Amino acid sequence: MREIIRLALTLFMIGLTSAALLTGVNNWTGPIIEERRKSDYLETIASYFPDVESFETKAEENGDSFDLIYDSAGNLLGVMGTILQGGYGGVITYNLAVDTEGIILGLRIISHSETPGIGDVITRESFLAQFIGKSHEDPLQPGEDVDLVSGATESTGSIIGSVRRSVGHIATSYLDFQAEIFDITVVPDGTFQGVAAGGQGDIVVEVVVEGGRLVEIKVLEQKETPTMFVLSYPIIPERMIAEQKLEVDVSTGATASAEGIVNAVRNALEKAIEEGEGEQR
Amino acid sequence: MSNVYLQDFQRGLIREIPIFRLLLGMCPVLAVTTYLTNGIGMGLAATAVLICSNLVISALRNYFPAQVRIPCFIVVIATFVTMVDMMMEAFVPALYERLGIFIPLIVVNCIILGRAEAFAGKRPVLRSLVDGLGNGLGFIVALIVLALVRETIGAGTILGPDPETAIRLFGDNYQPMLIFALPPGAFIALGLLLGMVNYIYKRLNIK
Amino acid sequence: MENLLPIIFIYILVDNFVLQQFLGICPFIGVSRKMETATGMGMAVVFVMAMATVATWSLYTYVLVPFNLQYLEIVAFILVIAALVQLVETFLRKISPTLYQGLGIYLPLITTNCAVLAVALLAVRQEFTLLESTVFAVAAAVGFSLALLIMAGIRERLELAAVPKMLQGSAITLITAGILSLAFMGFKGMMTL
Repeated sequence: MREIIRLALTLFMIGLTSAALLTGVNNWTGPIIEERRKSDYLETIASYFPDVESFETKAEENGDSFDLIYDSAGNLLGVMGTILQGGYGGVITYNLAVDTEGIILGLRIISHSETPGIGDVITRESFLAQFIGKSHEDPLQPGEDVDLVSGATESTGSIIGSVRRSVGHIATSYLDFQAEIFDITVVPDGTFQGVAAGGQGDIVVEVVVEGGRLVEIKVLEQKETPTMFVLSYPIIPERMIAEQKLEVDVSTGATASAEGIVNAVRNALEKAIEEGEGEQR
Repeated sequence: MSNVYLQDFQRGLIREIPIFRLLLGMCPVLAVTTYLTNGIGMGLAATAVLICSNLVISALRNYFPAQVRIPCFIVVIATFVTMVDMMMEAFVPALYERLGIFIPLIVVNCIILGRAEAFAGKRPVLRSLVDGLGNGLGFIVALIVLALVRETIGAGTILGPDPETAIRLFGDNYQPMLIFALPPGAFIALGLLLGMVNYIYKRLNIK
Repeated sequence: MENLLPIIFIYILVDNFVLQQFLGICPFIGVSRKMETATGMGMAVVFVMAMATVATWSLYTYVLVPFNLQYLEIVAFILVIAALVQLVETFLRKISPTLYQGLGIYLPLITTNCAVLAVALLAVRQEFTLLESTVFAVAAAVGFSLALLIMAGIRERLELAAVPKMLQGSAITLITAGILSLAFMGFKGMMTL
């Protein structure tokens, strides 16, 4: 019995010494780490907004956060977002700086786990520079406005999509730009087909409109990854019908497919309006 | 007298170089050797822990009760690893980010606990220090060799990935053989190196 | 909840601990010589990893975080794992001698299996819930066992093959592991959390 107490006491003493030592080291390095993080962050902000004086952080539920940047006079200079986006090998975290006009000042990848040598082209200056100067009104279509890097389409595509959504989100939520709302009531009655690019090719939809209301949305053709597609279909059409608008929340875990469906519906309705006007004339 | 120290030193560095001869502590060797800088950083961190823990354990060896000596060793090692972890986060943040979880995992690196149990727990301080130095250097050598192979072939650079220090070896037209930067390349490169080391040791008759 | 299935899939196949993340290489090379030992080790690892992760997760959430002692996580976790392994060993010997005979000799080896500590650390770093952590630990351990079993199967055949003399033993095992890892890379990109 005495033996056990002696053993326990020795172990306890060693543990205590260890904890005391570590507390000391932590008190020394902790402030340094904290300080460095802060100054790194400020430096990043200052590289986009040289006149930065203060900023206000808005954290959102999905893990993204947005900093409203002010100068010394209290004027809003722009917004810097810290955004999480699923890539090919894991989560990609990046900063996106947007000025008050809704124009991209730059972006910077903070961390990623894309395949080294392939997916990590997303960290290259030549890829990231393409976004600078683009605005929240630009379509930012992969392969057209911004180059997809062949062999790394998944990594680059996910960044392009995420930037497009985030710029739009910053513009409408923090910069008071009005989101353009598609007016469904002007669409004539009938059944219309539309096409738009999804994650893996074109998505063809059929939309039924009655009395200026969306009644039914069916996907006729798609080439999406089946496990991904089920995440956005039929949820997205249901959302659009329930809310009677096209601008629904597309964050489903398969955003490319979800956006594809929305865009295809938009395409169908736009064609319907054009044709309708043609008939009237 | 100095002969004993020389033997202690070269045992870890040459005769029983842990990675190539005993196949211990391989996880970090495979994981961080995509770049030479990572490899050297990992090697130095592990060596610092190894030397410190060897010193402390051999100095306190008479106070550790035999029945609980392993937990005692583990606490000592974990304490030093945590210190290294904190200091790296404070002073070399970029390297710290790249090495990631493999810094705390130095705790379970079999080389360190192995040296504590097999050597430092029974021998005087100075010899344990020399032993720690030898084994640490052996670990660094293994990391450097594997990292050199993987980085030159897999990325075409040395001292990357930071563009300020990276030296492009073959100019801009070199298409890196990516497989060596990926996990399969790590296994294959280490396997081939191991074969080479076996061959050299056999030729030189080192046992 | 919706994370559970992806966690299982990802940590068994996509981010396999041994073949993609280089965790637990020592036992992977050391005990993959025979199918029988590989099975024993695999089962012991599943058992210990799940228990260790539950213990370390609770310790972290209910002790270290409230007292602001996160910096002690390495020391605390490795002690918990070592103590747990010891406890399981003693317990098994008393309760179920047959199970002890099967798993007993592998238990001490597990303390220095870096995969166990890695699971514990990753579970708190990724901010998993208790349920997610447990599922994560089991999946990681199953992935480890899967790699171990495949390797043991290959190595039993390899005994009969004419391997160049200098590559015999661990060298050829590592090269084989490389090819296996290449095969597992095919799962990459199928799913992320």
